Amino acid sequence: MANGGFSRPAGSFIREPAVRVFSAELRESRLQFRDGEDEKSPSFVLLPTGERSNRIFICGEVTQKEKRGDQNTFYTARLRDPAGLFFLNAGSYQQEAMQQMAKINQGDFAAVVGKPGIRETPDGSIFVTVRVETITPVDRDTYLTWIDDTAEQTLDRLERFGSTDDSKKASEFYNTSTEHYRRIVYESLVAADI
Amino acid sequence: MDIDPQTTERISQIFKEKGVLLENDKIESKLKLLTTDFGIAPEEAEKMVTNELMREHGLSGPSQQSSSAPQQAIPISGASPGDWVTVEGKVVSLSSPPSEAIAQSGILSDESGAIRFIVWAKSNAPALEERKWYRFESATVDEYRGAPSMKIHSGTTITHIEEEKTFMPTPVPISELKPGVSTIRAKVVQDWEPRHERMFQSGLLGDESGTVRFVTWKDDASVRIEAGKVYNIYYAGVDEFQGRLSLNLTGAMVLEDEGADIQVASGNMKLSGAFVHMGGGTGLIKRCKVEGCNRALSRQNYCPVHEIQNDFRYDLRITGVVDDGHKATNVLIQREEAEKLTEITLDAAIEMAENNPLGFDDITMKMQEALIGRYVECQGSDIDGTLLVKGCSLVNYDSTRHADLINRASVSPAGGEQ
Repeated sequence: MANGGFSRPAGSFIREPAVRVFSAELRESRLQFRDGEDEKSPSFVLLPTGERSNRIFICGEVTQKEKRGDQNTFYTARLRDPAGLFFLNAGSYQQEAMQQMAKINQGDFAAVVGKPGIRETPDGSIFVTVRVETITPVDRDTYLTWIDDTAEQTLDRLERFGSTDDSKKASEFYNTSTEHYRRIVYESLVAADI
Repeated sequence: MDIDPQTTERISQIFKEKGVLLENDKIESKLKLLTTDFGIAPEEAEKMVTNELMREHGLSGPSQQSSSAPQQAIPISGASPGDWVTVEGKVVSLSSPPSEAIAQSGILSDESGAIRFIVWAKSNAPALEERKWYRFESATVDEYRGAPSMKIHSGTTITHIEEEKTFMPTPVPISELKPGVSTIRAKVVQDWEPRHERMFQSGLLGDESGTVRFVTWKDDASVRIEAGKVYNIYYAGVDEFQGRLSLNLTGAMVLEDEGADIQVASGNMKLSGAFVHMGGGTGLIKRCKVEGCNRALSRQNYCPVHEIQNDFRYDLRITGVVDDGHKATNVLIQREEAEKLTEITLDAAIEMAENNPLGFDDITMKMQEALIGRYVECQGSDIDGTLLVKGCSLVNYDSTRHADLINRASVSPAGGEQ
């Protein structure tokens, strides 16, 4: 659960779960940290609703797909969910993700498993990107199920807000308005009906 | 680490009584060296520094007395990594040492529990005998694969003790196993062929509470256990490796509970979530046809045990990860369910593979497209952290759930912020 990131035994490998999050919330994340001193310790983005995420699972419509770079080609794309846009990228060091990006078409609904990261542009503005692990086309039903899934898990986080270590940290760092995120959830659910 | 000024004061006091005045700085720096640089426990460092200063000033006496004053033995279950301990216990098993640096290795037990120990060859310790009681003074405890392990070094005093206590170790339910040494009563659920030449036997044990894998390494005294039978297993090592527990039966006492049976927890588990990752073993595979083997062959038809097997049989399987947002669970989907989920039959897959040089990759790719990013519901048995899937289906969109969520999201929680 929310405390999953704490005190795991040394040397053991536990795959990090893929947190469900709407674009509007991810876009407002600003705190990235490492859990442990090790070079291989996982890196987490703390979500404003109070959960650390090393990996996320998101769905949406693919837009503005672009192939970039000359020698080190990489792909960027946007993924539109009911709350806004995710910024995706896949570089040549992830062959599989690149190939899947090459195959995906703009306008497709896609499911993406990826790692969130907070980047700063040279002009000093901050934005959150998602490094794609896998991107696959999915049907509209899967997209709608994802919206419900993400709504439910975000509401669960809001209900736990203030009672977990991560949410206390988030409250301190973001001064989170739970009402703001409840409204995002509500509007996303309603938008899915149209 | 900071030195407790009281420690320095105590040492200084001992010498003052003997008419020797010492500088506190000197005592402190010696203590610091031992505790900080060598990681020795403060109490032990205090003793060592006192003895050393005694020798330096040609004194003897209290140090001799204090070291011969019997130290209170602690229960074995209380020994944790990082401690210097004095324990009394019975050597319940000895196994052949894995390295020349080790004179003996085995398990020591008292009423409270058991611990693995190692006697370093350099310690010049007397040879320990099984079933005898000993007192170990100043042994160290460290951690090996997550379990405490006691080390007998040259500074450890070993005394054979005559008094004999009898105690029976109590079996622990498998679901409650922790790294260390444990006694269990379990049924052999599966007997796997060893994957390594030093391995004597491996498989899966189960009781009413769960299952755990076991391994027995080749040793003079290795006992083979049979699938379907129930055994009392005394003093087996519990190792932790990559987050999973494994029981090491090498050197453990294994007694068959004849005629007994245990209803092994089927671990029937339901799981619902997104299929987020597909593993390397997914797709059309070839299996070794040697009786009882059934291992997956490499693309070049190589079986890890039976070498090149050009006469193989095809199979279809999916390995992957289902993730509910809180936990990622490994799943293994066998042919029948894999066919249903991906709508690729074994026959169709074989045809693709035999008529197209890239057929194997195509099949895997088609399976990825069919499953990754989809919501699935699986049920099956939990084998040591992996769900062996017996039934699996794609989740359909549920409009009732959607309506419920809109209701839930439309209400501001009582006392919520505005």
